[in-house]
Amino acid sequence: MSLFDVAFYVLAFITVGSAIVVVSSRNIIYSAFALLFTFFGVAGLYVLLNADFIAVTQVLIYVGGILVLIIFGVMLTTKVFDVPVKTETLHVGPAIVVTGAIMGTLFGVILKTKWFDILNVQWDGTTKKIGERLMTDFLLPFEVASVVLLVALLGAVIIARRERVKS
Amino acid sequence: MEERFIIELTQSLKNFLPEVSLTVTLSLVILLDLIFGRRFKNIGAFVSLAGLVVTLFFTIKQYGGSYQIFRGMFVVDPYSTFFKFVFLLSAFVIVIFSLQSYELRETSARRRIGEYYFFILSLTLGAFLMAGSVNLIMMYLSLELVSISSYILAGYIKESERSSEASMKYVIYGALSSGLMIYGISLVYGLTGELNIYAINASFLSSGYSPIVLMISLVLILAGFGYKISAVPFHYWTPDVYEGAPITVTAFLSVSSKAAGFAMLVRFLKASFIDRTITLGIEGAWAVIQGLPLTEIVAVLSALTMTVGNIIAIWQNNLKRMLAYSSIAHAGYILMGVVVMQNLGISAMLIYFLAYLFMNLGAFYCVMLVAEKTGSEDIEVYKGLGYRAPFLSIVFTIFLVSLTGIPPTFGFIGKLYLFSALINAKVIWLAVVGVLNSVVSLYYYIRVVRNMFLGDPESGKEPINFSPAHIVVMLILVIPTLLFGVYFTPIVNFAQISVAMFGLR
Repeated sequence: MSLFDVAFYVLAFITVGSAIVVVSSRNIIYSAFALLFTFFGVAGLYVLLNADFIAVTQVLIYVGGILVLIIFGVMLTTKVFDVPVKTETLHVGPAIVVTGAIMGTLFGVILKTKWFDILNVQWDGTTKKIGERLMTDFLLPFEVASVVLLVALLGAVIIARRERVKS
Repeated sequence: MEERFIIELTQSLKNFLPEVSLTVTLSLVILLDLIFGRRFKNIGAFVSLAGLVVTLFFTIKQYGGSYQIFRGMFVVDPYSTFFKFVFLLSAFVIVIFSLQSYELRETSARRRIGEYYFFILSLTLGAFLMAGSVNLIMMYLSLELVSISSYILAGYIKESERSSEASMKYVIYGALSSGLMIYGISLVYGLTGELNIYAINASFLSSGYSPIVLMISLVLILAGFGYKISAVPFHYWTPDVYEGAPITVTAFLSVSSKAAGFAMLVRFLKASFIDRTITLGIEGAWAVIQGLPLTEIVAVLSALTMTVGNIIAIWQNNLKRMLAYSSIAHAGYILMGVVVMQNLGISAMLIYFLAYLFMNLGAFYCVMLVAEKTGSEDIEVYKGLGYRAPFLSIVFTIFLVSLTGIPPTFGFIGKLYLFSALINAKVIWLAVVGVLNSVVSLYYYIRVVRNMFLGDPESGKEPINFSPAHIVVMLILVIPTLLFGVYFTPIVNFAQISVAMFGLR
């Protein structure tokens, strides 16, 4: 087992383990903090894959932005610690069968398939390349994404705004 | 190098004018509504209408061309332009509906009416992009643009619990299916290392593929498409969303968002999973790459969709909900055109979409008017409507007859071409299922007609009057429904030219 493998398994363990805590914890604060480790684990996996820019973005946006926002949201709602999170499970038996079947199929497929791979890549920073491709080949998706964000932003305001109730 | 890129970019932008003008319009709607919204309440609607006309002008100018722009992200071809006409027409009609809608006038939605038109336009822009995208990233983004706009529109009436519930359910189902879809996309990318659908196809043909993985990724991606076109088993959201959303939005979703889903689905299937080295000897037929039971999957989806839609529609007493199930059934009929895997089927699909546009929008408009006058969408209020509102009842009957597919209406022509394409391709069993389904649908459509003309009015016998504006809109929708039912050659020719996709036979 090389150092790379060890690093991968440690990061994968952190990611999956904390993700399980996120969905199974009954306390929303614990869930939010477990999510922190999931995000860091994923960022680590990106680093292992030579995706430096994506890794940094992951930390900045997910950990620095989204997670802080989630925790703020939780803290600002009243009754922080005893929010009755309903994570009850229904139909456990059928669900196990279905998810097990799906997982088995996917595992089989992932292990057996000859995936498209790029071998022997020399590592150099990806930030510049990503920037260049965003501005050339992927210019249209880049611009469309901004329209999508504008729509989502306006939509969030519209949906969340409280209506003045007339008596 | 930079200079060449700039030339390329300006060239691309020149062929992107319809989308640009839509984007400009939606920004203008928001800005002008902010500045003048207090004084002129309907400014958003009029700016939208003007913008749609300008877009139509650019789209017409574009028709006939076939080119790839933005470095293989987007194509302009007769096929996408045809769908753009459908989107523009339906957006135009919906803006006019919305101007007359009591739901938007009499609830708190009137204070957010400028933004309402913004979302109508952004949905149209998303549909435009869906029709022309040839890159998986663009396809996903444009699908999300349509989805996000429709989530917000579905929950626009905040006082109505049904509307909020519709929006919520829509978001949850939407998130699930777009998650499945992007997983499928990631599998395809993992197999080929390509995002452009033509390059994906080339990679399948040159370096081989494993049918099982392809199957799994195809099924996952179909989940995303199936959700947009509300095909069984991804249809669960449809009845609740269609019933809860404001009726103008329901009508819009049932046409534009569905048409966009179909436009993208057919292009994706035809470009990615076709073996162009095989010739079938039939004009305009495409061979599916080996080992992939694509025809069978789509055929089963189609049969299931129309059967489930029609059978559940029988039990519905709320007209909006009934039309929701009927629109599921229509998705099944339209899928029949895809099953054929020939240009003949696609042109039949295009014809059907034009027919569906007029008859479905018309049916929803009639339900909207009746709901405004009587305050209910229940089938009971239609009892004796033939005597209280004869004009509306006759028009509504025409739309329902057309939805059933009985001559001399446009709906009949649409179905005729679909069935003949199927029989031509020798998929007889599906054609039989389709005909049986039409018979089932006759029952619940005619039930409304029977209530209107043979039932006695229960609540109030006084006649219902409509303003000239209402009558004009009804006429605008009913005249094509009847006219193209008898004089359909130009439409058929138009559809047959429009099957041409960029880079595909």
